[in-house]
Amino acid sequence: MLAAGIKTPVPLEELESHLRDEIERQTKSGWSQEEAFKSAVQKIGPAHTVQNEFEKVEETKEERKWKEGQIWSGAILGFLQLISIGAVLFNSDMTLGQRLSGLAAIATSILLVAAVGRLSHRVFPVIRAQRTRTATIVILGNVPGIIWVGIFTRFFLLGHEFPFGQYLAALLWANCPPLGVFLGLLWEIQTAARKKVAMAGS
Amino acid sequence: MYLVPMIRKELVAASAEPLILSLLSKGESYGYAIIQEVKARSGGKLQWTDGMLYPVLHRMERRGLIKSRWAESETGRKRKYYSLKKDGKTAMAKHHEQWSLVHSVLAGLRKEQYV
Repeated sequence: MLAAGIKTPVPLEELESHLRDEIERQTKSGWSQEEAFKSAVQKIGPAHTVQNEFEKVEETKEERKWKEGQIWSGAILGFLQLISIGAVLFNSDMTLGQRLSGLAAIATSILLVAAVGRLSHRVFPVIRAQRTRTATIVILGNVPGIIWVGIFTRFFLLGHEFPFGQYLAALLWANCPPLGVFLGLLWEIQTAARKKVAMAGS
Repeated sequence: MYLVPMIRKELVAASAEPLILSLLSKGESYGYAIIQEVKARSGGKLQWTDGMLYPVLHRMERRGLIKSRWAESETGRKRKYYSLKKDGKTAMAKHHEQWSLVHSVLAGLRKEQYV
């Protein structure tokens, strides 16, 4: 069957058991082992059709997992945002202006996730290969992030003395929007690739 | 003699799930046996392409209608046995309802033709 081109997710063991049953039945009615084998394999149907059917079953499972993944990611991020908002609102060291500024930073980051996530496919190329995608995400996520944290720490944190409120607002503005852009890109890369792959497969 | 035409693809496809559910309601079975029994009961007219049955079984298992287990027969042959789950019984009842409905409408119309 592997020679016929059938790959996973076809359940090879089950089909093999089926073949053996069919061959047994045919040899009992007088066919030779070889003829029985050929006929049984043929009866299974063309390899690519069988594989297509199995792929369709797998696709729905993947669809569901993707949707669940998105919901969970959204929930966790939403929760983190709530904590950030709480920190901004309920500490005693920020002036009103600083609080508003901090909230604006958080809001901007949320908007950026949505905007970049939905719109960047017009600018960003679709990466179909899973491995290239993962590599792009890992590099995009870590290299600029590390550089940015380095610059920010060196020139901002260590270079000045800030009152806590101003410090927190600045921290939020420095990190939330870029994080929003990154998450939006991450979302877009995955979504666009899945759409392209799904269209090609059907 | 009037030759019975081959059964339409769509009808074969639509009847697969209710047939599998009904067969499994009589006891657990495995793929090959299911195909042979359907063929026998239909006088050879319902010959499922062997390879097509297994994706259907897997889809049904994924949807929670049936469950499977591997077992060894007396001859040492390993087979995957399927059995009906509660959701499968409910689905089977629904299928019966719908098929009976279609059948009764058709039968009623047919009766009127000969009045």
